Amino acid sequence: MRWFWIDRFTEFVCGSHATAVKGVSLSEDHMHEHMVGYPIMPNSLVTEGMAQAGGLLVSEQYGFGELVVLGKLAKAKFHSCVRNGETLTYHVKVDSVRESGAAVTATAHVGERLHAEALLFFARLGEETDPLDGARLFRPRDLQHWLSLVGVFEVGVKADGSPMQESDYPLEENVASS
Amino acid sequence: MATEDEIFDKVREALVDALGVDDDEVTAEATLQGDLDAESIDFLDIVFRLEKAFDIKIERGELFPEDILTDTEFVQDGKVNEAGIAKLKERMPFADLAKFEAEPIVQNLGQQLTVKDMCNFVAHKLAA
Amino acid sequence: MRFWLLDRICSFEAGKKLTAVKNVSLAEEYLADHFPEFPVLPGVFMLEAATQAGVWLVRLTENYQHSIITLQEARAVKYADFVTPGHSLTMTVEQTGEDDRHVKLKFQGEVEGRLSVSGRLVLERYNLADENPSQAGLDKRMIEYQRLTQDLLTRDMETIA
Repeated sequence: MRWFWIDRFTEFVCGSHATAVKGVSLSEDHMHEHMVGYPIMPNSLVTEGMAQAGGLLVSEQYGFGELVVLGKLAKAKFHSCVRNGETLTYHVKVDSVRESGAAVTATAHVGERLHAEALLFFARLGEETDPLDGARLFRPRDLQHWLSLVGVFEVGVKADGSPMQESDYPLEENVASS
Repeated sequence: MATEDEIFDKVREALVDALGVDDDEVTAEATLQGDLDAESIDFLDIVFRLEKAFDIKIERGELFPEDILTDTEFVQDGKVNEAGIAKLKERMPFADLAKFEAEPIVQNLGQQLTVKDMCNFVAHKLAA
Repeated sequence: MRFWLLDRICSFEAGKKLTAVKNVSLAEEYLADHFPEFPVLPGVFMLEAATQAGVWLVRLTENYQHSIITLQEARAVKYADFVTPGHSLTMTVEQTGEDDRHVKLKFQGEVEGRLSVSGRLVLERYNLADENPSQAGLDKRMIEYQRLTQDLLTRDMETIA
């Protein structure tokens, strides 16, 4: 299993909100294992979809250059079952960004049907609190790859509505030492 | 203007939701870190909920003046000096610092923060 | 990958408590993406491990009364520490309440005695036939399969009376 729980952003507004979609398919191994006989998308992975969409939105606020991880899932509530052939649409909104971390509220819909609601907190691992001892999560090139796979720079706009520029961030082409 | 009871009820609700504790665990005397197991990530959550519940804006360091606790002007050998205590009292008029003053070890400040202090903080913010 | 977020159930106390272990290995593919420079068990997989432990607590307690048991709600899930390859996450779930359709639990995950995750969750349980009687056969087949998988997880299980 790969760890890509959003297929594509359809909207990405820096510092504000984003929308991403995820197609649920029988070609995914876990669909055959979760409830054998009645495939449904595991709600833990729906949560990951909301966390990935929200995490990238938060990470942008810290310039895509820092360690941002899911620190707390304050609340997640699920209202239905998501089945193969359905498409999840995640809406995430950055509610507050602080020095130590950020709050994101998220929903997941299938068409008009509300499937999930969540409140997530992301921790920013600064120098003093960094348990990784200087390690990082991604090489800039790997992060750039992910951002490009999910279309961040294709649909992304800055707060003022102008298109996001890849060159504004410390990604591979802009980092000499990587 | 919210009464003391109204403030306490909303603070309790915020703590119950943020910390996953039961209603009756949230007493006025309960300490956030000691009794209710609040960790640093929880303070993000608590502050977020208080801002919503009371329609207030809480800036960094307002509830917990970490800048003073990391300032060598106010802290020596892990203890807050007199100037630091004076500064804390100025910044935290809502908290009862008598116990902290007796043994002003930096870590104690966070550990001694009670639900009551939290309510007083909100009342202080609402009055401002 | 297979969607097994538990390797072994260690102990079970009907209606009360279940403890299980999840071993984390670099052989798991998703660790290459999460994260390339810092492979750790994803936080939502700790939640999934807790959910699966809760599901087994319910199944073993009620002797497979329901074909579907899913995560309906999670609250105050806090990530205290990373779980890295080569380590075992020991997950303990404790039942805190129930009604006909729901079971409430609190959970705690530890690595060598150090807390990695804690939180609360609510599981929802039902049969497909509740809504659609023609699905009764499918409920039965699902439960048969679930019973077969029990043996894989409970070889070394201690049952506490």
